[in-house]
Amino acid sequence: MNKFRLQFDEHSCWGCKSCEVACRLENKIPEGIKCLEIMEDGPKMVDGKLDFIYRARVCRHCDDPPCLVVCPAEAIIKREDGIVVLNYAECSGCGSCISACPYEAISLDEAEGIARKCNLCSHRVDHGLYPACADNICLGHCIYFGPADKIDEMIRDKPWLKERINQAQRDLTRQLNRK
Amino acid sequence: MYEFKYANVQREMEVYGYDEMIKSHCRMCHGGCGVYVYVKDGKVAKIQGDPECPINHGTLCSKGLASAELAYHPDRLTYPIRKVGSKKSGKWERITWDEAFDTIAEHILDYKDKFGPESIVFGYGTGRENEAVIYRIANLLGSPNTLTAGHFCYGPRISTSIITMGTNPIIEYENFPKCIVMWGNNVTISNPDCYKGEPFSVALDAGAKLIVVDPRLTRPAARADIWLPLRPGTDAALAYGMLNVIINEKLYDSDFVDNYTFGWDQFIKRVNDYPLERVEEITWIPKQKIAEAARLFATTKPAAIQWGVAIEQQINCADNDRLLMFLMGLTGNIDAPGGQVLYRTPPIVNVGQFGAHAMLPREQSAKRLGGDRFRLASRFAILQPKAVWDAIIDEKPYPVKMLFFISSNPVSTRANAKEVYRALEKVEFMANADFFLTPSAELADIVLPAATWLEMDYIGDFWKRHGYILPRRKVVQIGECRSDHEMLNDLGKRIGQGEFWWDTFEDALDYILQPMGITWKDFKHMDYVRGDIKHYKYKEFGFSTPTRKFELWSTTLEKMGYDPLPQHREVPESPISTPELYKEYPYILITGARQPGFFHSENRQVKTLRALHHDPVVQIHPDTAAQEGINENDWVIIESPRGKVRQRASYFAGMDPRIVAAQHAWWFPEKNGPEHGWDESNINILTDNAYEGLDPAMGASNIRTLLCKIYPETTGVKNE
Repeated sequence: MNKFRLQFDEHSCWGCKSCEVACRLENKIPEGIKCLEIMEDGPKMVDGKLDFIYRARVCRHCDDPPCLVVCPAEAIIKREDGIVVLNYAECSGCGSCISACPYEAISLDEAEGIARKCNLCSHRVDHGLYPACADNICLGHCIYFGPADKIDEMIRDKPWLKERINQAQRDLTRQLNRK
Repeated sequence: MYEFKYANVQREMEVYGYDEMIKSHCRMCHGGCGVYVYVKDGKVAKIQGDPECPINHGTLCSKGLASAELAYHPDRLTYPIRKVGSKKSGKWERITWDEAFDTIAEHILDYKDKFGPESIVFGYGTGRENEAVIYRIANLLGSPNTLTAGHFCYGPRISTSIITMGTNPIIEYENFPKCIVMWGNNVTISNPDCYKGEPFSVALDAGAKLIVVDPRLTRPAARADIWLPLRPGTDAALAYGMLNVIINEKLYDSDFVDNYTFGWDQFIKRVNDYPLERVEEITWIPKQKIAEAARLFATTKPAAIQWGVAIEQQINCADNDRLLMFLMGLTGNIDAPGGQVLYRTPPIVNVGQFGAHAMLPREQSAKRLGGDRFRLASRFAILQPKAVWDAIIDEKPYPVKMLFFISSNPVSTRANAKEVYRALEKVEFMANADFFLTPSAELADIVLPAATWLEMDYIGDFWKRHGYILPRRKVVQIGECRSDHEMLNDLGKRIGQGEFWWDTFEDALDYILQPMGITWKDFKHMDYVRGDIKHYKYKEFGFSTPTRKFELWSTTLEKMGYDPLPQHREVPESPISTPELYKEYPYILITGARQPGFFHSENRQVKTLRALHHDPVVQIHPDTAAQEGINENDWVIIESPRGKVRQRASYFAGMDPRIVAAQHAWWFPEKNGPEHGWDESNINILTDNAYEGLDPAMGASNIRTLLCKIYPETTGVKNE
C-alpha cells in the first residue's frame, strides 16, 4: 500500500494562515488550540544575512512516532498508509504524548480533556479527498499531499508550475494568432 | 485506490451530503476570487476556491474560507434598528425596512430643501463593490459630497494613471514578468486592487527576479534578490534615484521615450536634481543598492511594479504613484505582455456611467467640500474627510447635516480619530449600513442590515481595471438583510429619483450588461467574461491623455495649478522635517501592515479569524526594546502629539531600530458598546489630518508614517 505524506515546502510559504483556517473549519478545532500553526522564524541572522521564514508546526506522522509509544491508552495508531491517528474517543487526556512530541505538534484541549493533533484528515483521505489544508487553498502552492516516495520530486519539479507556464504560452500564442 | 483531485465537488457532495454547490465570487476584501459554495439544509456549509477561476486558480484566503462564520455570526444585524434616546445611549429598537426608509427619505428631502443636497454626505469605506449605487444616488440627489477612501487609497492610482496614460496599468502575471518590484504592499497577505497573491507567487516560482521596497523584512523581502529598506516616506526620492540611474546610464526604452512621451526634456532636468548621493541621504539606502535595483529592473524584460496603497497614504501620494508609473513606462513595460497592461473591460455600462456623474449639475459640483484645495481629487469626485468633519463641527463652508455611510467605520480607519468621533457625535442625523454595530455605527440614528457576498446577485469586479467581470450568485437569504444595491435602489425611488432606478435590482444588472447583448439570467450561466486584450495599443492609438502621449509633464496638473512634474516632499513629521519634535518623539512610527484574516476593522468578532491575532501588536526592534525597558508581549503605550494608545510589543529585528510598526483599525467587539474600546488601540488616535500636511492634489493624509514615543504601560516613564 502507498504511504501518504503531507509536506509543507516552507521556503514557499507566505504566512497567510489560510491553511490554519481550513484545518480549524474542517476539524471543528476548539478555540484556543491549533492542530496546524504557521509560525514566524526570525527575522534573524542566518549565514550572515538577515532572514525571515515561516514554519509549519504540525504533526509529521513520523515513521516511528514517539507519541504512540508513550500513550497509556493506546489511543494512537500508525496506519498502513502512514497516517498516525490520535483516536479522540480513546484519549484519556494524560498529556504524555504532548511531552513526547519533538515537534510540539500535539495540543491539550482543556475543555474536552483530550489531546488533539493533525490526523491528516484521514476522514477525508479515506474517501479520496485531499486533507483540508492541502486541497489547493494555499496561494503559494506549498502544501503537498501524496505518495511519500514522490513528494520530494513533486516539490523539486513542480509539475503544476510547468503546466501553468505551458498553458500561458498556449494562450498567448492563440491570442497573437487571432490578430 | 481513489484518484485525488483538487476541489472534487462530486465527492465532497457525496461524502458530506451537501444539497447543492453554487459557484460565486467572494467579496471578503475588494473581492475577486471564484469560489464553490456548498449548501446543506438551506445554510452555507463550506466554501472553497474554484480551480477554474483565472483570478485565484482555486486558492482562497482565510477570510473567504471563513465567510459563513461572518454570515451566521450571532451578533450580525439581521433587521433594521433605530437608536433609542441619545446618540451614545447604546440602545436600539427594531423597525421595519419601510420605517427605516421613510425616516431616511424624510431626512434627505428635508435637508435638501433647507440646506441643499450638499448638506447630505453619502459614503463608503474601502471599496466594497457598492461605489456605483452610492455615487448614483448622491449625484442624482445633487450632492457633490460622497466620502470614500479614494483620497488615499486606489483613487490616487486611478486619478494619476488616467492623467498620465489614460487608465490604470495592471500587471499581466499570466505572461510571467521576469522582474517584479513589490512596492508599498505585500500582495501575499493583502489585496491591492486588481491583484491577488497567487499569480505573484507563481511568477516568482517561475523564476522572476524580485525587488522589494519596504521598511520591514517581510517574507517577500527575505526572498527578494534586492531588498530596499527605505526610510518611511521617501518613496519619491527612491524612485527618482532609480530613474536617475536608468536615464543617465541610458537604460530606458528610447523608442518609447522619443515617440510616446511628453515632457522629456523638462523631466530629465528634474531627475538630475536627484543624484544618488542625495537620494542615499534622504532614503537611508546605500547608493550601490539603488543602482543595482534600477539596473536589474530596467534591463530585465518584461518587468512590472506590484504597487499598493502604502505609497498613497502620505503627503507625496500623487507624485509617488506618478513616479512608479514613469518607471513602468520609461522601461517600455506599459502594455507589454508580462508587463503592465491597459486592459479593456467588456462592453458594459461602466462604473463611471452607472454612477451618474454626468447628472451632477456643475454648480453643485463646484460646492464639493475641499474641492478648491484638492483639485485632482475633486476632478474624480473624491473628498478629503477632514473637509466633511469641519463642515459638521464648524459648519464651514456650509453645514453638513446628514451622513449615510455604507460599509464604513471611519472612527477606526481615518486620520485623527478623535476628530472623526466628534464629527459623528455631532452630526444631526446619521444612517449606516453594516454587518455589525461597529463603533461608528453605534453613533448612528438608524442602522440597516447589509447583505454579505453570499446573499446577493451582482456583477463582480465590474469596477476594476483588470478586464474581467464575474457573476456573484446569491446563495442564501439571511434575516432581513439586503444588499447595498437593493437598499439604494429602493431608497432612490422614495426621494424622487424613481425614473433612474428599477423595479428590482436584477433589472439594473440587465441594464449594465445590455451593451453586451445579454441579461443577468444569461450572465449567471457564465463563468466570467473578459475584455479583448491587445498589447501596445498606444502604437496605434496613442494614450488617452490631452497630448495623446504618456505625460511625464502633466498638462492636467499644470492647468490645475500644480507642479507638472513629481517631487519628493518630506512627510510632515519626520527626523528631517521636524527635528525638534523628533527629540521628544524619537521613533518613526509606521502603521497599517495588513494582517491575514482581517480587512481593516472587519472580522475582529469572527472567532476563527480573531484566533489568528488576539491582540493588537506593535513591532519594535530588540535594541529599541532594551533601550525603553520593554519585554516581549508587554502592553506598551505608543504616543504622538495627538494622543496615545496601547498595543502589545513584539520584537522584530527586521527593520531599522529607529522604526516602530503598529497595527491599525483595532477595536474590540467583545467590549461593551457603544464604545467597544474604539480608542484603546486605534492607531488613528495618533495620526493627523491638518490640511497643510496633506497631499496637495489628492488630499491624502500621512497615516502611514509619523513620529512617536513608546514605553511600557505599567511605568509610563521611559528609560527607567
